[in-house]
Amino acid sequence: MAARAPTVGIKGAFLEAIRMKSGIVGFAILISLLAVTVVIPVYAPYDIVRQWSNVNYWLDNPRVAAPEWTQIFTGKEEPKTTTLASSTFRYVEVRTTIDAEGQVFNLTLINASRKFFWTFDGFPSELSMEITAFFPGNTSDVPGESPLIQIFWNRPDGQYVLLLQRTIPAREFNLPTTYHLSTDSDVIGNIRDWVQREGVISPGNVSQAYIRPETVLFAKMDSHQLDPQEAANLLTGEYQVVVSYTGFSLVDTVRPDLTIYGSVYGIAGTDFSRRDLMTGVLWGAPVALAFGVTAAVVVVLIQAILGAFSGWYGGPIDEFLQRASDFYLIIPILPILIMIALFYTPGIWAILFVVVAFSIVGSTTKVVRSIVLQIREEQFIEAAQSYGASRGRILFRYIMPRIMPYTFALVALSVPAFIFLEASLSFLGLGDPVLPTWGSIIGQAYNEGALFYGWWWWVAFPTIGIVYTTVGFALMGYAFDKVLNPRLREE
Amino acid sequence: MGLLKHLAKRGIFLLATLILAIYLTVVIANGGGLIDEILKAQIENELRQQLQNDPAFRRLPLDEQQRIFNETYALRVEARGLNQPFIQKSFTYTIDALTLNLGHSLVIQANDGSNIVSRIIAERLPRTLVLFTVANAVGAVAGIWLGLWMAKKALSAFDRGATVVSITTTVVPPWIFGIFFILVLGYALRWFPTGGWIGVPAPPGGTADWYFSVAYHMMLPLIAFVVATFGTWAYTTRNLVLQIMDEDFVNAARARGLPERMVLNKYVLRAASPPIVTSLALTLIVAWQGAIITETVFNYQGIGQLFYDAISVFDAPIVIGLTALYAYLLVATVFALDIIYSFLDPRVRAVRR
Repeated sequence: MAARAPTVGIKGAFLEAIRMKSGIVGFAILISLLAVTVVIPVYAPYDIVRQWSNVNYWLDNPRVAAPEWTQIFTGKEEPKTTTLASSTFRYVEVRTTIDAEGQVFNLTLINASRKFFWTFDGFPSELSMEITAFFPGNTSDVPGESPLIQIFWNRPDGQYVLLLQRTIPAREFNLPTTYHLSTDSDVIGNIRDWVQREGVISPGNVSQAYIRPETVLFAKMDSHQLDPQEAANLLTGEYQVVVSYTGFSLVDTVRPDLTIYGSVYGIAGTDFSRRDLMTGVLWGAPVALAFGVTAAVVVVLIQAILGAFSGWYGGPIDEFLQRASDFYLIIPILPILIMIALFYTPGIWAILFVVVAFSIVGSTTKVVRSIVLQIREEQFIEAAQSYGASRGRILFRYIMPRIMPYTFALVALSVPAFIFLEASLSFLGLGDPVLPTWGSIIGQAYNEGALFYGWWWWVAFPTIGIVYTTVGFALMGYAFDKVLNPRLREE
Repeated sequence: MGLLKHLAKRGIFLLATLILAIYLTVVIANGGGLIDEILKAQIENELRQQLQNDPAFRRLPLDEQQRIFNETYALRVEARGLNQPFIQKSFTYTIDALTLNLGHSLVIQANDGSNIVSRIIAERLPRTLVLFTVANAVGAVAGIWLGLWMAKKALSAFDRGATVVSITTTVVPPWIFGIFFILVLGYALRWFPTGGWIGVPAPPGGTADWYFSVAYHMMLPLIAFVVATFGTWAYTTRNLVLQIMDEDFVNAARARGLPERMVLNKYVLRAASPPIVTSLALTLIVAWQGAIITETVFNYQGIGQLFYDAISVFDAPIVIGLTALYAYLLVATVFALDIIYSFLDPRVRAVRR
C-alpha cells in the first residue's frame, strides 16, 4: 500500500524529518542498529547463539568477569584467563618393571611441570585443571591398575603445597577429567592443612568455607592470606604447577591443562554462566528489532485501516469499532499475556501473534479515525465523489495515501512499547527459551543478584542496548510527528 | 439529567467490558483444562483431609473407604459443576471471578497463613494502591508544571532540551530506571533501601516509625516511576497549552485585558483539563499493569510482585484471580476518570441533553 502513496508523502516527510536534530540522531541510531544486525553474524555466527543456553559451551570463559577496559579506570592490570596447555608442560618420564618378591609390576612415573610468571595486579577468579590420562584401563579393571595423580603447587616464596591426590578410576581412561581446584573439598582441606602447618593460622581456627584456593595460593603468607581478595596481599613471581603421575603399565601418558581464570573478559564481560555478554547484547539487537518492528508495523497497519473504515463509513461500523477500541484499551493485556505465556509456553513468534491479536483496535484506530473525519470534508474527496468514484475506491486511493505518512510516524512511536513488552516478558522468564534477548539477560542478572554483588556490566550493557534502541525510535517518531502533525509545527 | 444518562451509559459499557474481560480470562486459563484440574485437585485434597479426620471412616475396611471416597468425590465434582460442558462451566467460573470468589491458592499464603486468594490479594492491594497513586500524582504534577514552563518559553533552548528529555524518558519504562537507581542510589550511594515495602524487622504498625519506614522504602520506586512518567505529562501539557493559547477565546480574554496568570488558569488550563484526564486514564492503565515488573524489580510486596511470585511457583488460582482483579482495577479507574471528565467538560452535559 505504501507503494501506491504519492512519493511526496512518506519520502518527503522523511527528508524533512532527518533535517531536524532529533530526526538525524534517531536516524543515525537506527542505521547503527541495522549495521549491528548485518555485522553480528560475523562477530558471532548464529551457531554460537544456538549454544547460548548450553552451559558446557562457555566453560573456557571466567565467571562474572568485568569488561577488560575497566582496567583503564582502576589503573591495575587485572588477570586475563590464561590456559597452560599440556603441550607447554615439561615431562620427565620413567618407565620400568619392578620385581618385588616375585610379583612383577610395570610402572610409569611421569613428572609434568609448568613454570609461569604471575605479574598481574590481581588474583585469578578460579582455577581448573583438566587431566587426560592414557592408560590401558578397561582391559583390566583390577583396582590397583588405576593410576594415581598428585598435583603440587610451587610458589615464589619456596612453599611447595600438595593440592590434590587422587586415583583416576579405570573407566576414565583416555578421557579428560576436570578437577575444579577452586571448589574441590580435598584441595581446600589440603590447603587448610598447609596454612595451619605453616602457622598462618592457629590449628582448628578456620572453617573450610573461608578458604578460597585461587586467593590463598596466590597470596603472601601473612595474616591476610585467608582474607577475601580485596584484603589479601598478592604474591607475584614465578609459580610452578607440578602433576606427578604414577601408572601401572609401560605405555601410560598424561596430559594436564591448567586454566587460570582471569577477572576481566572482552568488551562487555561475562555472566554467571560464563557467557560472553557482548555476544548476547549484540544478538539482542536483531531479536528486539524483529519483534518490535514486526509487531509495530502489523498492529499499526491493522489499526489504521480499521480507523479509516471507522471514520469513512461511519454508522454502525464506526460505533462497533469505537466500542471495540475502548474495550481493547481497558482490558488487562499484560496480565493476560503473562497468563498465556505461563500456561501455554509459546515461543517468541507465538507471543508476537498473541500481541497482535490483542491489539487489533486501539489508540491508533482513534487517531486515524479523527484524521479521516477531517480529510472527509476536503474538496478533493468531493471531487472524487462527483465523478462517481466508489466509496471503497475513495478510501483506498485517496484517503489511505494521505494517512500513510502519519502511520509511518505511529509505527516508529510504537516500536519502543513492543520492544519493552517483549523485554518485560523475558525479564519475567516467560520469553523465548533459547534466544538471548535483552530482557532475559537483565532478568537473569537480577535473579543472580548482580545488583547486590555489584556486577554492573551484566545489567548495564543490555539496558544500554534496549534504551539506545527505543530512544532511537522515539526520536525518529517525534521528528516525523512534528513534520506531519500540523498542530505541532513550529512556525 | 444529561450527565447522569451519560454516566449510566458509560457504566453499562464498562460493566460489559469487565464481564467480557473476565470471561476472556476464564476461557484462556481453561483452554487447556487448567482450572478444572486445579479445582478437582482442591476438592480431592479437602475431601481426603475431611475423611481422615473422621474416626468412623478410618475404622471402615479399605475398599469401603475407597468406595465412599469415590462417591463423595463424584458428588462434589458434580455439585461444583465440573462435569458440565465447557460453555456452561465458563459462565460459572466467570460469575465466581466477578464476585471475587477466587478459591484457594496452591502455594502462596497470606501473612496469617490463610490460603484464600481474595484474602492474600486484599493484604497486598493497599500497598500497590498507595505506591501508584502517590507516584502518579507526583509524576503528573511535576510533568504538568514542567509542561506549563515549556509552553511559556516555547521554542527556547530550555523548551527544546526539555522536549527531548521528555520524549526519551517517556519510552523507557519505570523498571529499567528502577534497575539503574537500585544500582546507583541503592547499592553504590546507599541513600535508599534497595527493596521491600517496609524495614525488616517492621516497626510496630501505626507508629511514626512505621510510616517513615513505609515512605522511605517507597522512595526508590517512586523516583523511578516519576522519572519514567513525567515526560508524557510535560510533552502533552506543552502541546495542549500551546494549541489552546492560539484559540480565539484565549485571545479574546487577553484583549479584554485580563492578567496573563488569570488567562492561563481560568481559560487555558480549564480547556486543557479534559484531555489531560483522558491521558491520565491511559497512563494509569499502563501503570497498573507495569506494576507486575516494577514491583518485582523493587521487591515491593504489592499485587504486582504477588503476580510474579504466583508465576514463579505456578500458583494458577492467584494468577487467574489477579487477572480478574486487574480487570476490576482498570474498569474502576476508567469509570472514576469518566466521572471527573464529565464534570470538567461541559460538552458532555450539553450535547446529551
